[in-house]
Amino acid sequence: MTEKKVGFEFRERLNKIVGGNHHNYCYQCGSCVAICPAARFSDDFNPRDILLKTLLGKPEELISADSIIWKCTNCYSCYERCPQDVRPVEVIIALKNICAEDGVLPPNVDKFSDTIAKSGRSVVMTSTVNRRRAELGLPELKDPPLNELEILLE
Amino acid sequence: MAEKIRVAPFWGCMIPVKYPQMELSVRKTMAPLGVELVDLDGFSCCPDPIYFKARDKVQWLTIAARNLCIAEQAGLDVITMCSGCTSTLQEARFLLAEDENLKALVNQKLKKIGKEYKGTARVKHIVVMMRDDLGIERVKSSVVRPLTGVKVGIHYGCHLLKPSQIMHIDDADYPSLLETLVRAIGATPLTHTEKLLCCGKGCMDEDMPLQMTHEIFHSMESVGADVMGLICPTCFNSFDMGQILIARKMNREFNMPVIYFCQLLGLAQGFDPEEVGLHLHRIKIDQVMETIAASETVEIVVR
Repeated sequence: MTEKKVGFEFRERLNKIVGGNHHNYCYQCGSCVAICPAARFSDDFNPRDILLKTLLGKPEELISADSIIWKCTNCYSCYERCPQDVRPVEVIIALKNICAEDGVLPPNVDKFSDTIAKSGRSVVMTSTVNRRRAELGLPELKDPPLNELEILLE
Repeated sequence: MAEKIRVAPFWGCMIPVKYPQMELSVRKTMAPLGVELVDLDGFSCCPDPIYFKARDKVQWLTIAARNLCIAEQAGLDVITMCSGCTSTLQEARFLLAEDENLKALVNQKLKKIGKEYKGTARVKHIVVMMRDDLGIERVKSSVVRPLTGVKVGIHYGCHLLKPSQIMHIDDADYPSLLETLVRAIGATPLTHTEKLLCCGKGCMDEDMPLQMTHEIFHSMESVGADVMGLICPTCFNSFDMGQILIARKMNREFNMPVIYFCQLLGLAQGFDPEEVGLHLHRIKIDQVMETIAASETVEIVVR
């Protein structure tokens, strides 16, 4: 028989991330699954199952760049529905933060975040943007103070 | 004239860079409503509630708090035009009020750039401001060309309403905000099965997002919608560009114009489609304009 052990170390690590500690409240009722669009449109996404693996402290399948957690639509329906205030989507995002700490973010997430950190915008500015805006009679877009962002993101 | 309202618009990234037509429609339609938009310097990305938040929630909160500080210093409330920005800024306010330690941590970082987050500036999506601060009557009274006969399939998107514990906007299961506004401009709001389904943009999968947008269009088409009305540039991207992708990959054409609420409001206030940037959309709105023109003719005959 294999030994059944809860990985409390992982759970304690998750507790330290903003919103991660709410995973402790989950009693596995499945309300989140009933309302989840990602569960509806895929065969393998299941927020209750993600929470179960989290409760067992077994992150191996969850913490990776191709983990199922990246299929979450971030729609907040589970947050709305959960009777235990688990805020499942926030637990999933906390798991993603652990992916970042462990250096296993999907490359596009890392790249997108870098764009925001370096330019202050999520959409890349090109030389045509202000020209198009001028044609519509809109004011010129100025860069946000990047030095401030740099200090804050140190 | 009703009292003038001064607010700080938070344009975000998608709207000013990618879909400036939405910004144009906001700037055009707010003047007739007695809203003064005070553009503040220094706002950055909200930052986005999907990817940037996935990398580091504390960094995400810190940048959001920095943006809110700018409005606090100006003594103005913020209006948002994008559901993502609304979500980030509102959730940041919630978390920083909920957790003193987190607020202290964020303020310790903000101190390095000479800022302090207090939590005094409120955040409202522009459609919420219209309902709560202006009132539906004021919206109605700005209408000179009611969109009579135009059937609007409503798409709420996710982040305007959910989680209601944070957003405090409407019933997340049976919302009425957009229906009320669509009626105020003379159009007919249509309810449909997938009214509350997510557009799928935040899901990192090849097929699922497109299946979701497809379901929403199918649901709208089956109740006879002329246009889709929405309030978020990210959803807009899923649906405007999304229709091209659905045609290409799923061999299904819906040809349904996707219109930001302030553009619909602009048409009702008498602006031409070009004046609210509707010529920049991939799916053209000629049919809708014919419906509006036809109803105008009928009204003249009746009078």
